[in-house]
Order: sequence, then structure tokens, then C-alpha cells
Amino acid sequence: MTLVREIAEKWEAAVAKILIVDDEEGIRMLYSMELRDDGYEVITLPDGRGLLDVVDSEQPDCIVLDIKMREYDGLDLLQQIRKRHYDLPVILNSAYSSFKVDLKAVAADYYVVKSSDLTELKEKLRVALEARIPRD
Amino acid sequence: MKAFEVNPEGVSSAELVVGIPSYNEAPAIATPTTQADKGLSKFFPDRKSVIVNCDNNSPDGTRQAFLDTPTKHPKIYVSTPDGVTGKGNNLRNLFEKAVELSAKAVIVVDADIKSITPQWVRNLGEPLFEDSAYVTPLYVRHKYDRLVNNVIVYPLTRALYGRRVRQPIGGEYGFSGDLARTFLQSDAWTKDVGEFGIDVWMTSLAMLSRVPVIQSFMGSSKIHRVKDPESDPGPVFRCVIATMFDLMCRHQDFWKEVKWSRPTRVFGFGSEVTVPPAVMVDLEALWQRFLSGTGSRWDLYREILQEQTSGKLQEVASLPKEGFEFPTVLWARVLYDFSWAYRNQVVPPDDLFEALVPLYFARALSFVIETEAMNNQQVEEIIEDQCLQFEKTKPYLLERWFSA
Repeated sequence: MTLVREIAEKWEAAVAKILIVDDEEGIRMLYSMELRDDGYEVITLPDGRGLLDVVDSEQPDCIVLDIKMREYDGLDLLQQIRKRHYDLPVILNSAYSSFKVDLKAVAADYYVVKSSDLTELKEKLRVALEARIPRD
Repeated sequence: MKAFEVNPEGVSSAELVVGIPSYNEAPAIATPTTQADKGLSKFFPDRKSVIVNCDNNSPDGTRQAFLDTPTKHPKIYVSTPDGVTGKGNNLRNLFEKAVELSAKAVIVVDADIKSITPQWVRNLGEPLFEDSAYVTPLYVRHKYDRLVNNVIVYPLTRALYGRRVRQPIGGEYGFSGDLARTFLQSDAWTKDVGEFGIDVWMTSLAMLSRVPVIQSFMGSSKIHRVKDPESDPGPVFRCVIATMFDLMCRHQDFWKEVKWSRPTRVFGFGSEVTVPPAVMVDLEALWQRFLSGTGSRWDLYREILQEQTSGKLQEVASLPKEGFEFPTVLWARVLYDFSWAYRNQVVPPDDLFEALVPLYFARALSFVIETEAMNNQQVEEIIEDQCLQFEKTKPYLLERWFSA
């Protein structure tokens, strides 16, 4: 990889806008802080209310989506996102690994089990943002 | 291609076509025909539909068995000329028929499928009347059913074209009438596609055409005639791999730009999931076929593989059967080197494909040993990891393929 391209890709990742949807305030705060430190722009939502409108207006580059939120099911929200935004990267983020067996999770880019160590989430974010398929 | 047709009701147009490709399927064809008919009645009552059996003029009476199956919807039988066989040639006749009928949507179901329900027709067809152009099935299969898909086709198509389609050679599909026309007009048709390369060809072309692809959850396992993974993979293996390599040569400008992969949408949830029947694998047979197949071919492998890869492969071949392991990254490199050798005609194609078979057996053996005690979900996680390794190893392919 050339130096110019490496810098360009770092720059691209640095300005990416991440939408975090999670009903735990502590998680939203932790993720916001860590990801902002890494140069991302971060916006948050406490649940799925108005999610699609926020996606339309804010046009995030990636969504980190909790699965179990009081009134909302992240897997159902994922289907709604996919219908409107076919190629928007979505990372499912749950305290439970058991939802991996749900076939609806196949529509997500990645599935990361919640942890106070954000290494895996950050790695999957990087890969999801780098993924590309040529367009006409 | 079409050689002859039986169209008892003189159908000249249809919105929805269900195609059943066959060869010598007289005892089995009534099941998919009946279920397709029920599915059309239940889920597409207002669509003008027809069921088409595209056959290789089977000598066992498939035509009569199909036409004699009672259905509410009209049926058409089309056949390739005498002596022309192959699922691909049957589907080419189906593409022609679909275009001739001005079909908006086409569904394909295998003739040997036993577990098909009317719901399958809905799940393969409905997305085509929304905004999808190509539908592949998502069903639970036994972890060793279609090992060639798990260890070669899925990880390779995903790494090349960037789209995660779990069953690229599932056997059941839906595609739009427009895509049928695209298939028909493609100049990438080869003898291997006409035989058994058709499934991976259609899925790859759909991905390359950038049309919306969707995976449809079937709700029940695929139950069909299963071949032992260690039995001779013969022409099917050759056709599938040759088709993949041929498409790689034709579409290098596309796949060189693909990085990582993206999921596809999923359609149809909420149905009951059934447990697929077990597929038994004879580890000793896989082991023996690996040893006997590689024994006299090391000079050939050294021509095909990069030096380091060839050295690692020799290391793997020296391992004992107990605890045998063929690392995923090495396997990805082997396949990437074979594709390069195919493109550069390093050895005659027949020798190339024959040389790959024992290595496939070795990788299959390693996969079975690793996953023996796992349930299907755990195996899915292993396959997911394998796919990521293929994607991470792609720079190896890019470097070799595009180096001067």
C-alpha cells in the first residue's frame, strides 16, 4: 500500500460517522468516548424510536446496534434498516452471544459481544468501513 | 438449444415460471411439481403462472411422470436435443422459455428435493415482485452436506465478489425475467456451465451484475439425495471449479476492487426449522484419497504453487492422520495459486483439476476433524472465520495474479 493511500484511508476512517443505538447509558458514554478518541464522529440513540429518520437525516457511515432494548428488538430494526439502506454497515452488539444463532443476524455485517475491551468492536468497525464492492 | 417442447395448454405468456430441471427423475418429480402447484395457488393466486420441466429427454419416463402429475396450473415440458445432458443446458432452455413467455419472475427447484413445501415457492418468488432480482435459499443443511460449498465455493465467491451468499450452489433460486435475459445473452457460457457449473455461474453473474441479491429463509432443511463427500466428486467438482476460475479470468477488473465483504438482505422468517438428516463421512477414505492423490504429483504442485506454499503443503502432507490439520490460510493460498495457474495455463486444465481433488479431500478431512463434535451453529462460526481468512489472504492472490 502506498503511503498516500494509507493516509487517505486513515483520513477516511477518521471522519466516519458512527451511530450507536443502545438503551444502556453507560455503554453509549463508553463507546462515544473511546470512538471519539479514535477520531470518529459519534451520535447516539437510546432505542429504536425514530431510528430510520435519524439514519436518513444524519447519514451515518456505520451503525452499532444493540439487540435487546426494552421496547425494541435490534434484529427487527436491522431488517428495517436493510430494506431502506441495502449497503449501510451495521454491527450487532449484544451482551448475549446466543443471538448469533438467529438467522436474522445474517443480515448484519458483524456480530460483536459486548465487552469493556473495545478492541474487537474497533477492528470490526474498521473492516466494515473499509469494505467495498465496485459500483457502476 | 431447445429441441422439443410439449405445451398441452398452449401457454404463450406467464408472469411467474417455476422451473424444475431434471435428468432421470421419474420417481421424484411429482413431489416438487405438486408442491410448486400448491405454492402458486396459495401465494400467487392472481399471477399467471406455469410450471416448466426442463429435461434432458430422460429415458426413464420423467416427461410422462411430470405431465401426469395433477396440477391446477398449466405445465410445459421442454427438452434438450438427444445426447445433450447437463443441468446448465436445461436451465438455458428455461431462460429461453422465460424470455419467450415474458416472465417477470422465475423460480427454480431441484427435481430430487423431498422437503420442499409451498412456502418455498413464496419465499423464492415474493422478493422478485418487490425489489430483488436474485434470490438464493437459506436453509439448514447438515454440516457435511455439500462440503465443496463449505470449503471452496462459499468462501471463494465471498472473497472475490464481496457479497455473502451462504448457498451459492444451493440448487433452488429465484431470478427476475430481466436477469434471465442477462443470463441468456452472457458470453461467458462454457461447456462446464452447461453441465454442472450453472449454479455458481448464475450466482456469480448476479453478484457481478450488481443487482439486488437476497437470501430467503426456507424454514425447513434441504432433504435430497446426498453424495458421500469422500466419493468421487468427478465432473461436478471439475465443472464448479472450472466455472469459478473462468469467471475470475473474465471479471478480474471487478474482483480486484472488492475488499472484505458485505451481507445480503434476508427474507422470510418465523417458520419452523427442521433438523437435517445426518451425512456420514468416512475419514479413512478421505485420508487415503489425499495420500494416493498427492503421491505422484509433487512436481506438478511445485509448478502451480508458490515456493513457500508448496513447502507448507509438504509439511501438511507429512502430518499423521490423528490430529491432521490443513490450515485455512494455506488452503486459501492453494486455491488462489490454482486459479492463477488456470489463468496462465501452467498445466493442462484436466491435470490441474485432477491435482486439486486430493487437496480438496485433505481440506475436507481437516474440516471434519475440527468440527466433528460441534453442532451446526458452532460449525457456522468456523465457516465464518474461514471466510474472513480468505478475505484477509486476498492480497496474496492480487499480488500473484497482477504481477508482471
